[in-house]
Amino acid sequence: MSSIILIRRAYNRSSSSILFRFQSLFIPNSHPQFSTSTVKPQNHASGFDLPSKNVSSSISNERLNFSYRRRLLLFSTQAAVEASTSDGLTVDGIVANQWTILDENESDWKSHASAIAQSICLIKKRLKWKELKVRLELLSFQLEKPDIWDDPVHAGKISREHGTLMGKMKEVNGLEQELLEHIDMIKLAREEDDVDLELESVKALLRMRQSLKEKELEALLAGEHDSCSCFIEVQAGAGGTESMDWAGMVMQMYKMWAQRRGYGVTVVDEMRGEIAGIKRATVRVDGEYAYGYAKAEVGAHRLVRISPFDSAKRRHTSFAAVAVTPILGDGSHHVQISESDLRIERYRSGGAGGQHANVTDSAVRITHIPTGITAACQNERSQHQNKASAMAVLQSRLDQREMVRQAQMNAQYTQSLTDNSWGNQIRSYVLHPYRMVKDLRTNFEVSDPDSVLEGEIDDFILSYLTESMDKENDQV
Amino acid sequence: MNLSIFTKTSILSPTLSSRIILNRSISNSITPTPIISRCYPIPNPPISTNPKTPLFLRPPTFSATLSDLQKWQNWAKTLASSIGSTFTDSDNGPNSENLHRELNWLIEDALENPQFLQNPQFIENPQLQLRAELGDLYELWKQRIEERRPFQYVVGCEHWRDLVLSVEEGVLIPRPETELMVDLVEGVVKEEEDDDDDGLKGGLWVDLGTGSGAIAIGIARVLGGFGRVIVVDLSSVAVRVAEFNVKRYNLQDKISVKQGSWFEPLSGFEGRVAGLVSNPPYIPSGHIGGLQAEVGRHEPRLALDGGEDGMADLLHLCNGAASMLKSGGFFAFETNGEDQCKFLVDHMETVYYGSFYNLKIVKDFAGIERFVTGFRS
Repeated sequence: MSSIILIRRAYNRSSSSILFRFQSLFIPNSHPQFSTSTVKPQNHASGFDLPSKNVSSSISNERLNFSYRRRLLLFSTQAAVEASTSDGLTVDGIVANQWTILDENESDWKSHASAIAQSICLIKKRLKWKELKVRLELLSFQLEKPDIWDDPVHAGKISREHGTLMGKMKEVNGLEQELLEHIDMIKLAREEDDVDLELESVKALLRMRQSLKEKELEALLAGEHDSCSCFIEVQAGAGGTESMDWAGMVMQMYKMWAQRRGYGVTVVDEMRGEIAGIKRATVRVDGEYAYGYAKAEVGAHRLVRISPFDSAKRRHTSFAAVAVTPILGDGSHHVQISESDLRIERYRSGGAGGQHANVTDSAVRITHIPTGITAACQNERSQHQNKASAMAVLQSRLDQREMVRQAQMNAQYTQSLTDNSWGNQIRSYVLHPYRMVKDLRTNFEVSDPDSVLEGEIDDFILSYLTESMDKENDQV
Repeated sequence: MNLSIFTKTSILSPTLSSRIILNRSISNSITPTPIISRCYPIPNPPISTNPKTPLFLRPPTFSATLSDLQKWQNWAKTLASSIGSTFTDSDNGPNSENLHRELNWLIEDALENPQFLQNPQFIENPQLQLRAELGDLYELWKQRIEERRPFQYVVGCEHWRDLVLSVEEGVLIPRPETELMVDLVEGVVKEEEDDDDDGLKGGLWVDLGTGSGAIAIGIARVLGGFGRVIVVDLSSVAVRVAEFNVKRYNLQDKISVKQGSWFEPLSGFEGRVAGLVSNPPYIPSGHIGGLQAEVGRHEPRLALDGGEDGMADLLHLCNGAASMLKSGGFFAFETNGEDQCKFLVDHMETVYYGSFYNLKIVKDFAGIERFVTGFRS
């Protein structure tokens, strides 16, 4: 069965090196920061070098954008007139005023307005507002070219991205406008001594303040593929049954998390341990922003406890590796899979097959020969559907691999993505001698491991997303 | 658990007609399991002309409490676990893991909202709607484990390619390997440029010994708006089931179902058939007794037994292909494996020298040489 274990070149590390990493942790005094990224950020963003013809088109586009961006930045400084109230107060002005922000229950318009203005600024920051404006100008410029629709696929891509960015920009501008209108209305109401109108407007501000808290969160998920559904894969580290049991617990944690969030969860591929847990498993998580959230979970998860499988009741440390890949929509795949590159096998089938056998198990494994990446599915009711499902996993893995490859050529993303690779230890779950779950990236911790293992991982995810967003902004 | 529910006549127990087939096919050695003898015999069963409705298509008119259903589920799980690898070791039958998966599918088919049983925390009403009585679910799962009744007969359907086909005793359950037959047809049809009546796509296709109608329905969907399909089967049960499946996929204008032996119902079509496909019986008679219990005890021998060397029907199909196919016409036959494939190709190249071209042997996903394809000169 070991041949089924995936070749994980997609993550830049072979599975044996992951196992090596796991094992290295059992060596006393080994440094916990074993997983330092081996990929150095490459500075490709200078942008003035022209794209060479033989680089794939999407990469050259990225580069093109950079070279255009430089030049267009000059133009974009001549920004449109900023929105303001009748007496010239702008959103930035409100932030600069630093009005004290009181509790939501306090009916103080200045407090509400200040909170709203801060949220708007945060959202803008998270959307990388300045870059977004430049990108939008570039896209508009491209869309106005008369020959754009000669390449309908490219044009469709540009037009979709333009639409998305335009929507975001309009939404934020609308929020600013709304805030300023409410302030104007309150001032007017005061001049006119209209208590009802003032109360109404303060209430509207409060509603805005509350809904913007939600929007802040959404703005964390502004990545190109964040809104996609995804596959979550969990693989047990070295250490036998205890490790497999831990991998099973981690998978259960994600299933419960996904159900809590209202996502659909389907097991695609599962290889159980002989005694307990799983050797590996892949689930499909369907729903908005599933990838955006789950991508924060990529890495190695460490468990420390007295193993129930050890008759000597010793304390064990185990690892489970988590990988998350996005399910991109049709037409936005990064890799076109050619049928001739595939080896499709039925596995777990023995004997003569055909009319000789009555089977309900029609497990299919697909190998992408050029990369050695494999995907398997055995939970569908027909071979055809197992094949389709395995193809979706394979497509997702190849897309992810290509995205990582492209990102490495593009300094902007290098840092954030390589940090998230398969082998990095990201979180520690200690059940003995004390009880604590701690994220090693953010230092966020909770002292109730049970609730975390029952799927309450949102706080970990959000703290990580916030931190990495802030880091990225600092770099810019 | 009150055992009396097992003994009452179940609406789902096999009809007498299928029993006869069953008995005929197990004449070798198999003694009935105790559960059969405990069932009341049905003295005068109504001879139904309509095929049985698959479980998942029945109305959810029954109900059970969550706790009763969980009790059943736990009982069924324990029964499945108790099998371990016993069946696999004895005749390559299902193991516990396979059975657990089948149990989930049974729940999927039997419950109106199967997700509630998996996640009872979301449930509002402790009553769950079922498509069969709870007592029948006990009975069905006992049949699955103790009688080795094929899962597909238990739920009355087989998921095949992207289709869900009705199946019942008396009809061969379509095999996963056979799905590839449709891909083979799709391959040759796609290569074709035009779709006029002279070509393959627009022409007449024939599926002989169709059983549930699986291959024919697959092909009809591949042909899209073009061509038409005639399906033939000797068994009246198969003809009824195939008609039911054809109607369910709304292909009755495109597929006509005929009862008869092989080419018999096709007189007048000599030299006019564009495509001929078949998954004929190909198991050598001597092997029938040693088959996996699900197959040997429950599936129709008519669809399995290919004579002494298993080649009787395949050779008959070869002869027919030579006379029925038009020039350029395509054929694809499923076989027992390497030996039959090689024999068939050799036979066509020697006995029918010059009649066929581009003969190919195609492997299934398990790597077994399974199909022979080719064209009429």
